[in-house]
Amino acid sequence: MTTSALRSAPAAEISARVHPVTVEVVRNSLSAAADEMADGLARSSYNMMIYEVRDFSCALLDTKGRLLCQNVGGVSHFVADLGVVIQDAVSRIGIDGFRPGDGYIMNHQRVCGQHLNNVVAYTPVFAAGRLYAFAVVRAHWVDVGGMSTGFGAAGGGVTDPWIEGLQIDQLRIQRDGDFDPTLLKLVLDNVRYPESALGDLRAQLAACRAGGQRLEALIGRYGIDAVTLSIQRLFADSEERCRRIVADIPDGEYTASSFLDNDLVDLDARLEIAARVVVRGSDMTIDLSGCARQRKSSINSRTRAAACVAYKAVTTPLEPVNEGSFAALEVLIDEGNFMMAEFPAPMAKWSIPIPTVVDTILAALAPAIRDRVPAAHHASLGGGIAFFGVDPGTKRHFVTQTVEGGGWGARPDADGQSAAVSVCQGDVRNAPIESLELKYPLRVVRRELRADSGGAGRHRGGLGVTTEIQNLVDGTWSFTVPPREQCPPWGLFGGDAAATGAIELRDGTDSAYQRIGSGRRPVRAGASVRITSGGGGGWGDPLDRPLDEVDADLLDGFVTPEAAEGRYAVVVDRTNGLVDRERTARLRQAGR
Amino acid sequence: MLIATDIGGTFTDLVAFDPTTGRVAHAKSHTDPADYTAGIARCLDKSGLDVASAREFLHGSTIAINTAIERKGARTALLVTRGTRDVYRIGRSNRPESYNLFFERPEPLVARRLTFEIDERMSARGDELLPLDREAAAQAVEQARAGGAEAIAICFLHSFVDPAHEGEAAAIVREAAPALFVSLSHEILREYREYERMSTTVINAYVGPKVSAYLEGLERMLAERSYRGRVYIMQSNGGVMAPETARQQPARTMESGPVGGAIAAARLADRLGLAHAVVFDMGGTTAKAALVRDGTPDMSDGYFVGGPMSGQPVMLPVVDVVEVGAGGGSIAVVDEVGALRVGPESAGGRPGPICYGWGGTRPTVTDANAVLGRLSPTNFLGGEMPLDVDRAGAALEAEIGRPLGLDRAGAALAVVDVAVSKMALAVRAVSVQRGLDPRDCALIAFGGAGPLHACAIARTLHIPTVVVPTFPGHFSALGMLLADIRHDFVRTVYRRLDEMDPAELLGVVDQLRADATARLELEGIDRGAVEHELSLDLRYVGQEFTLRTPVDLEELRTGALDAVRSRFDDLHHTRYGHQALTEHVEVINARVIGVARRHQPRVGNADNPAGDRSGGGHREVAFSEGERTVVRRCTVVSREALHDGDEVVGPAIVEEYASTLVLDDGDKACVGADGDIVVTIGG
Repeated sequence: MTTSALRSAPAAEISARVHPVTVEVVRNSLSAAADEMADGLARSSYNMMIYEVRDFSCALLDTKGRLLCQNVGGVSHFVADLGVVIQDAVSRIGIDGFRPGDGYIMNHQRVCGQHLNNVVAYTPVFAAGRLYAFAVVRAHWVDVGGMSTGFGAAGGGVTDPWIEGLQIDQLRIQRDGDFDPTLLKLVLDNVRYPESALGDLRAQLAACRAGGQRLEALIGRYGIDAVTLSIQRLFADSEERCRRIVADIPDGEYTASSFLDNDLVDLDARLEIAARVVVRGSDMTIDLSGCARQRKSSINSRTRAAACVAYKAVTTPLEPVNEGSFAALEVLIDEGNFMMAEFPAPMAKWSIPIPTVVDTILAALAPAIRDRVPAAHHASLGGGIAFFGVDPGTKRHFVTQTVEGGGWGARPDADGQSAAVSVCQGDVRNAPIESLELKYPLRVVRRELRADSGGAGRHRGGLGVTTEIQNLVDGTWSFTVPPREQCPPWGLFGGDAAATGAIELRDGTDSAYQRIGSGRRPVRAGASVRITSGGGGGWGDPLDRPLDEVDADLLDGFVTPEAAEGRYAVVVDRTNGLVDRERTARLRQAGR
Repeated sequence: MLIATDIGGTFTDLVAFDPTTGRVAHAKSHTDPADYTAGIARCLDKSGLDVASAREFLHGSTIAINTAIERKGARTALLVTRGTRDVYRIGRSNRPESYNLFFERPEPLVARRLTFEIDERMSARGDELLPLDREAAAQAVEQARAGGAEAIAICFLHSFVDPAHEGEAAAIVREAAPALFVSLSHEILREYREYERMSTTVINAYVGPKVSAYLEGLERMLAERSYRGRVYIMQSNGGVMAPETARQQPARTMESGPVGGAIAAARLADRLGLAHAVVFDMGGTTAKAALVRDGTPDMSDGYFVGGPMSGQPVMLPVVDVVEVGAGGGSIAVVDEVGALRVGPESAGGRPGPICYGWGGTRPTVTDANAVLGRLSPTNFLGGEMPLDVDRAGAALEAEIGRPLGLDRAGAALAVVDVAVSKMALAVRAVSVQRGLDPRDCALIAFGGAGPLHACAIARTLHIPTVVVPTFPGHFSALGMLLADIRHDFVRTVYRRLDEMDPAELLGVVDQLRADATARLELEGIDRGAVEHELSLDLRYVGQEFTLRTPVDLEELRTGALDAVRSRFDDLHHTRYGHQALTEHVEVINARVIGVARRHQPRVGNADNPAGDRSGGGHREVAFSEGERTVVRRCTVVSREALHDGDEVVGPAIVEEYASTLVLDDGDKACVGADGDIVVTIGG
């Protein structure tokens, strides 16, 4: 296919039938509606997973489950994944089964394919008396019963979805805008923090209603036909923008592979990841069928997220998302793959492998688009730590979490960014030290960059973070250790791999830190954990790095003298801490 | 005589008002980044004002914010608690552009090599866990000096509860290095969240030396002109302050640009009895909207210098402005997939729109307005600048009309309508999104291009009334003349409301009131003239974001916290559409604003010497009716010819020196006693 033939026929046809101004108004209004939903939700929700971690997505979908708009800046792996929920709802409840004032909730893994904490709430939107669309909010609840507290259960004990928590399957929780008291009681009686759950549910449904009203107002002003045509046009535009980018990538088949050290339970079995990307003209296929089969551990999911995030990042990262954004992408994942697991399979840790899968897809494409892909990043969701218990002072249950960033891969033209959340997370924030200490019986001893954690290269990888936290009361830590020890974040085009992350625990201030694996650890007051996140890989040959840049890293302590000598083949003058140019030249000469 | 001057990136503006004669004077000169006061001096000379006899001199500038954005501030060092050396670099670890692999994080204003950890620790409740290592602090200051630092920021954990260690460290710095500019976090922002506080403190230190030197130069220049009155510096919070405070806390002046218009609009809304008014300011590159409720602009607790994607957080109160990239100079394009986009790219002041004839080649919103006949080709800026409508029309036809299948007028209308829809979203963001019914709002429109589009925006959002003040082109500068002296004080409390001892809360508030009074007294205000505005930042337990809830002293004295609680419930319902009457509420921060009212000059319908009274007649102007283009014969009226009680019925154009008001069919404009035009939107 050639670039000039990219325009799909419908777009031109649509243009003839709807005024260009109407299309632009609909475009801007839909984006604003989704962002407004997100703003209201974040500001009035009850748990830090929503207001700080922004572990949610807000969207409007049509009755066929096609994405009209989605908010910007949230968790990236939620991109365009609500369609299956709406398709399932419409097929089972029926297109005529919805009434104004209804509010539904859903997290069932058979359809949602994620951990149960991600609860979807949605409301129908009507136009001219007929069902036109749905306003949908997926958000991470702190607890949905079972072993779900925090980020969801890990460990060998979680063998099926019901141990993980409450399965909610397309339940009408509101009628005429009022909660169904029986249903609500059943849900709230089976979660650990009912006030938080109710607060979040209220905020989700309020956001849905606000989004629905915006769409209704738009239809009220321009009419159903004009809005529908405009939406078709937006889809066509998004598709064409992507096609234009892909058309510039040389045709071919590109592959890369990586792995997680284990699946969090079976410590001897690697979780293989294989990406095959086929580019033909403006079409792209991302085939993940070579990845491992589903596991008994909870690392399973049903998701196309990895492929969609990688494709979006390569094509139109700054454009809003709609159904057209992925129309020119084919994703192949076979049933029984760990990312297309058959129910019932535990999914509490569903998102853990996704950032690594994204990086693997990008690594496959790197030779084809050398100047547009950074080296691998820490690929950790960073939130695998939670502490919970009962505050002896207030007698209240608490659960606290924080998401720590790590290093990003070096870029073709610059060093990698340090201490940033993973590719699957967008506007996700760590918890402030002062906030943690004010709210919870914790003391944060340090939060600092890890020297030498970035991979060496012409451009250096970004640095990971070390966070050390002491618990001041008895309680339980829950950890998910990023299983990337044997496959650290790789460099590109001669750059070195980065240091990997780890979690260590010590019982009291007298004892030494010991590395630990995933799972739950009850601890006494005075214990501490040390969480280190990985760095990003380097880009290009370290020996090509200008010595001035090595000097700057030495002065700022991003690289230690030992590491500089080992990885950049320099000699550091210990009296001033800078590279000794003369001795370095001699060393490099001798090395040739 | 009151004089207000405003230094912008391109121009320095002066507006003066003489309360005895009611005369308004203005002058403009180019801004010289190498010598900012020179532009002011030129304006003063040009205006011919008797500076020596002037009473008050009000001043706003973009110097602080430009210093930060252009990274031309002082070499700054940072002292922090052991274990937090990298808090400033790590920030919140977020990446607002989720899918962007090439995101940029805020570029620190302090080098890591100039960041020093000191042993010391306070707990979140203010217990001293570890005393300050004074020797280490002294050593750090020595190293900072050796590293060439000109300013030093100090931010220790939990200093918002107990600032003793910061005070101790500051004393060490001042003794060892008295020439260093010192910025202490608890003096800038006594609120929890260490990264945001640290960033605010650092930016204050970073711009401090430069702003200080500039303000000294300004005062010297005024003294040379025998000025003996008071000098006030504009703040981001909608108030002014004395130059000595501004020298210590320059970060408070960073976002003063959009503030003047909001203040003037607030006063106007008050005078006209408008409970809710949306302030709408459209200039060359952007349009800004803010909300005024009961005579007070909505405030936000902070902003990002350099934009929300990768800017530096400054958590100081600021008038809450929503900005969109749609101004008169915004460029219209049909992009590679055939979508019509207007802005955010702008032709700016130079080369500007095509019709200005300064070399612009890409069609802008202003070009579209000229082509539609909304701007007079011969009477723009009082006839000082003829507009080249033909060239603008040809470009619109070629670049917009041809790819979209529209004729010249259709293309121009499409550009204006898309701009209007973008601006309407900004107006909606500050009204509907804050729980207000637009039918209860009025739109106060100003800026060169505001009145051109105001009625169309109001019609889109069902806002029934548009107000165009006198001198819409100088409204922001006039607003500075109306600003009160204001100082914000905040203290994190962090306690459940029902567990809060009212006496303790009262104690915190009393302390803040005393601080506010003391600050105003330092600035020469009589203690008796100080008013206090009190509020609490409240939220439901478990939430993060708070709502600023007003309280009065009596409620705190009598312990009537139930009333405060239900006020919060109501606010929450208005803002978010739900509330939780049975759940616990917690107090996060107590806030006190110390206010000293300045005399309010009444700027009425004064003569405008630059105005052109000719006008008159009729003009053919294109409007859109649904998707059709219709040409209406519009009455053209000169604003200067309008008087109290006059009415103009649309379709009509009201022209004045620096602005044009467009009335569509059915819109009806009435002139009020003070010269303001109040438009009732038709249909």
